[in-house]
Amino acid sequence: ENREDMLSSKSNRLTEALEEANKLFSGVSCAREAALDAQFLVLASNLGKEKANELHSEMTAFDSLAFAEDLLTFMGINRIEVEENGTDSEGISGGYLPCNAWHKLGEETEKYFRRAPSFHYMLGSFKSDPPVPRQRIERQKKTTGGEEKRAMPAQLKKMEESHQEATEKEVERILGLLQTHFKNDPDTPISFFDLVIDPNSFARTVENIFHVSFIIRDGFARLKLDDDKLPIIEPLKDNEGREDDHSAGARNQVVISLSHQEWK
Amino acid sequence: MSQRKRSRGSGFSQGDDGDEDFNLSQMPTHSQVQRNLERRSQDQVNQKVSELVQFLLVKDQKKIPIKRADILKKVIREYKDVYSEIVNRAGRTLQQVFGLQLVEIDTKHHVYILTSDLPRAEGENLRRDNQTAKLGLLIVILSFIFMKGNSAKDGAVWEFLRRLRLQPGERHEVFGDVKKLVTEEFVRQKYLEITPIPLTDPPEFKYQWGPRAAKETSKRDVLRFVAKVR
Repeated sequence: ENREDMLSSKSNRLTEALEEANKLFSGVSCAREAALDAQFLVLASNLGKEKANELHSEMTAFDSLAFAEDLLTFMGINRIEVEENGTDSEGISGGYLPCNAWHKLGEETEKYFRRAPSFHYMLGSFKSDPPVPRQRIERQKKTTGGEEKRAMPAQLKKMEESHQEATEKEVERILGLLQTHFKNDPDTPISFFDLVIDPNSFARTVENIFHVSFIIRDGFARLKLDDDKLPIIEPLKDNEGREDDHSAGARNQVVISLSHQEWK
Repeated sequence: MSQRKRSRGSGFSQGDDGDEDFNLSQMPTHSQVQRNLERRSQDQVNQKVSELVQFLLVKDQKKIPIKRADILKKVIREYKDVYSEIVNRAGRTLQQVFGLQLVEIDTKHHVYILTSDLPRAEGENLRRDNQTAKLGLLIVILSFIFMKGNSAKDGAVWEFLRRLRLQPGERHEVFGDVKKLVTEEFVRQKYLEITPIPLTDPPEFKYQWGPRAAKETSKRDVLRFVAKVR
């Protein structure tokens, strides 16, 4: 009890308490009282040590407030120009700290530290420690690694497959559209541009051309030029397509260029 | 002497061999180690050295000090009789290849950390994490403790941090739970040492530099930092 009182550098209470204990000790006759006395001595010496510590810190001329302000300045604090209320009651000055404040301080700090950089495998580690999540996995040549690399190739395969599936699905979808249209209206071939152009997206248009090219390559449809020299597309029945394939040199290559301006 | 067949492949096995194999009071002396070395194939010993280097590098990611018991159990295993040689060689490799220093920060309980041997290179960090920001917070606390005579009471520390907009109860947008970061993470990493002050009610704590802080920086460096900020 009365700890603060005892610790205060201005009081002599600790000394007084010690003197009183000394006096009492002469009246001690049994072990229990001696034990109490010993306990008191421990308490007193702890307090004494703390008192000594307090002494030391009183003497350092370290102004922590100023240091804090300097740190904030270093971190790039944006002080409000108009000092409306000087320092408010909590002693925290006004201003906004930018969100990279601590990072900026950290960068300066690194110069004073000899910290080992964290070592991480580029392709992820096999340990249960969470590695930094990497979405795009580089296609690296699979070197004969230990267990560490084994987890990665399995994931890589999955990604490639889903890519291909997506393309195939799109192609099938477009072919389906083409065939449905023709079923309903067998004599009218579709204008190629009508089919592929997406009025809202240039990128989508390019994708559509890409998918249609698959259909033609595989022989499910045919591109012709109509009377106006505009390309039209019509689906082929299965056997027709295959015959074309077998004939020598029946493959043609066409380059279609479509600039953004033209698309508009 | 025939070579011991390795029952498990290379890499780190997580098997539980039973701790009686690693009774730490029976570590061989230096001369014993030298003799034991001669009985082992050089290749196998070097293999163990490489494994230990990898182990230490991965373990150091979180900056939590590495215990000798873990090293013995997970890497050294049956090569315990040449443990000290393996560790020494691993240390040399780390220094010569990676520029890292393997430091024993607790010689009684045999705990290690990795520090950098090389001066800090200029340029931005390539990793986008908040390790850099945490280091900023750390040096602020370390300098405060230092300027207060190498020991500061928790009340004083947190009052100081409050001036830097860090409240122990509130979630900080960069650090999250600041109190947890300071009192748990920094302590576990051995950057800070927090000990209770006896006979205080409600309990108070004193904050001091931890052994990792002492190895990774110095009072002089921190003083330079304080001077730079002023």
